[in-house]
Amino acid sequence: MTAFILARFLRAIAVLVFTVTLVFIVLRLTGDPAQQMLSDNAGPEALAAFNEKWGLDRSIPEQYLYYVVNALRGDFGVSFADGREVFTVVAERIPKTLVVTVSAFILSLLIGIPAGILAAVRRETALDKSVMAGAVLGYSVPNFLLGLVFIFVFAVWLRVLPSSGSSTWNHAVLPVATFALFNAAAIARFMRSTLIDVLGQPYIAAARADGIPYWDVILRHALPNAAIPMVTTIGFVAGGLLGGSALIEPVFAWPGLGSGFVNATNTGDLPVVQAMIVLFTAFMVAINFSVDVLYAVLNPKIRKH
Amino acid sequence: MSTLLTVRDLVVEVPARNIKIIDGINFSLDSGQTLGLVGESGCGKSMTCYAVADMLPRGIARIGGSVTFEQDAGGGRATPKIAMIFQDPTSSLNPVHTIGYYLETALYRHQGLKGMDARMEAVRLLERVGIDRAASRLRAYPHQFSGGMNQRVMIAHALAAKPQLLIADEPTTALDVTMQAQILHLLEELKAETGMALMIVSHDLGVIARLADRAAVMYCGKIVETAPVAELLQRPAHPYARALIDCMPSIDPQDLDPPVPIPGSVPLLDSLPEGCHFHPRCLRASVECSAHFPASAAVGLAHEASCYHPVAA
Repeated sequence: MTAFILARFLRAIAVLVFTVTLVFIVLRLTGDPAQQMLSDNAGPEALAAFNEKWGLDRSIPEQYLYYVVNALRGDFGVSFADGREVFTVVAERIPKTLVVTVSAFILSLLIGIPAGILAAVRRETALDKSVMAGAVLGYSVPNFLLGLVFIFVFAVWLRVLPSSGSSTWNHAVLPVATFALFNAAAIARFMRSTLIDVLGQPYIAAARADGIPYWDVILRHALPNAAIPMVTTIGFVAGGLLGGSALIEPVFAWPGLGSGFVNATNTGDLPVVQAMIVLFTAFMVAINFSVDVLYAVLNPKIRKH
Repeated sequence: MSTLLTVRDLVVEVPARNIKIIDGINFSLDSGQTLGLVGESGCGKSMTCYAVADMLPRGIARIGGSVTFEQDAGGGRATPKIAMIFQDPTSSLNPVHTIGYYLETALYRHQGLKGMDARMEAVRLLERVGIDRAASRLRAYPHQFSGGMNQRVMIAHALAAKPQLLIADEPTTALDVTMQAQILHLLEELKAETGMALMIVSHDLGVIARLADRAAVMYCGKIVETAPVAELLQRPAHPYARALIDCMPSIDPQDLDPPVPIPGSVPLLDSLPEGCHFHPRCLRASVECSAHFPASAAVGLAHEASCYHPVAA
């Protein structure tokens, strides 16, 4: 078990280093930040001065080494746009994004898992069919579109919730709901199919034959087995939270990492874009690592290897 | 000897497709006795077990007949304890639970044993079914055991219920021959020790011959012949039973007769031939056989067959 976790940990570090390198190189090959940041009629001297100021005139390996050494010390450079520390620019947006993503994630588990279980247990009934119809709808409508629909219904039409900003808790309701419904749909669908698969296994028939009460069979015999593949799906959902925030936050003008990322990309603010990608990658790698560890905890076949 | 289980005119079907899987079967089982159900795959022998244990899978329903149990003491009737073991022991055990959890929860459910009492009884049961170092095995998972060991665990689990009837659905089919012999031997011992009745399903006449007192031969959802097991093997009356016995390869070097395959194949349940379902494959069939299903008639002592032209003894 320890060896397993250690191996996965080293792999996670390797993935992180690889991604940082790749992103660094790709970002430097996709356009000249000086052109993007400065006005169109900036002269060649101005461009050269910009490049020199930010070290962009040096070779890519040189820039990379410089970047990595500084990043390891927690220094991600300063924003091209306003000259503030990138670390501060990114860090101040993190809580806003966490509020939306974490509550949406918890909410989607609270809705998706019971809905999927009920649909599987009451399979082929009206309950199952309505849950699945809702899930297909929630999953197939793009979440930014769902966000616009929510704004139209609750902010424009019913006028009960604000459409944009983040000054009160009410402002978080629509982004969280948009995010949660989309993810809950994915979780419910997968929960249902996984549980139906487990319920068809011989050990479930054997447990029933033994006279174990119905809900005991579901909760103690079927769910622990369904949990193993569920962890993967929930990991995907969790990993998609930050990426999803780039789609949803701009819709609601929610000042988190997602809208920050979109702004920085539009203005060519290279250090900010890069730091955010590193953060997103680190988050994804951390999620994958947790999924691997949870696997080992839930699945005796891995644990007892 | 009192009757433990009586099955009368049992009919089981798939309502959605209007297919009868079991079509009016009758049998009874005395306490302490062993009944063997034999027949080809799909003849309804496993479904008969599920119907008796009242655990038919979804989409399959009992639509007629009765399954009744009688109690010894005082003539009162109550549901007796039925335990069941299955063909593929490893996939019949929950992969996320330990052997200890499996046995101890069963002991709590059936005997109210908890904590140390349950653990000690679980160890005793494992030892009884022939698993050595039993105490240290309680923390093992099914994937760490062989198929034979898992079948022993399932039997130990069945014993935890102190059953009056043990239903064994192809208990040795997935095991290799030496393991088969050990499991059959164990079942024989346990039957003698506990006095439980046994219903054993197999397509292997050798298994039936070894364990059963009586045997019932099934074909396409009907019992076509029932007899004491020695009688059935020596003097089969139904041509299908006879053919099944002729299919068995012999290991006797003096016996030079090669196994004889049955011509044709088992008909599909949704397109059964009229009359006796076996007549298209039967060498003795006549016009009569394709008109009506033959009623069950005595052909010997405690020996009945559903055939217009039984094989002469």
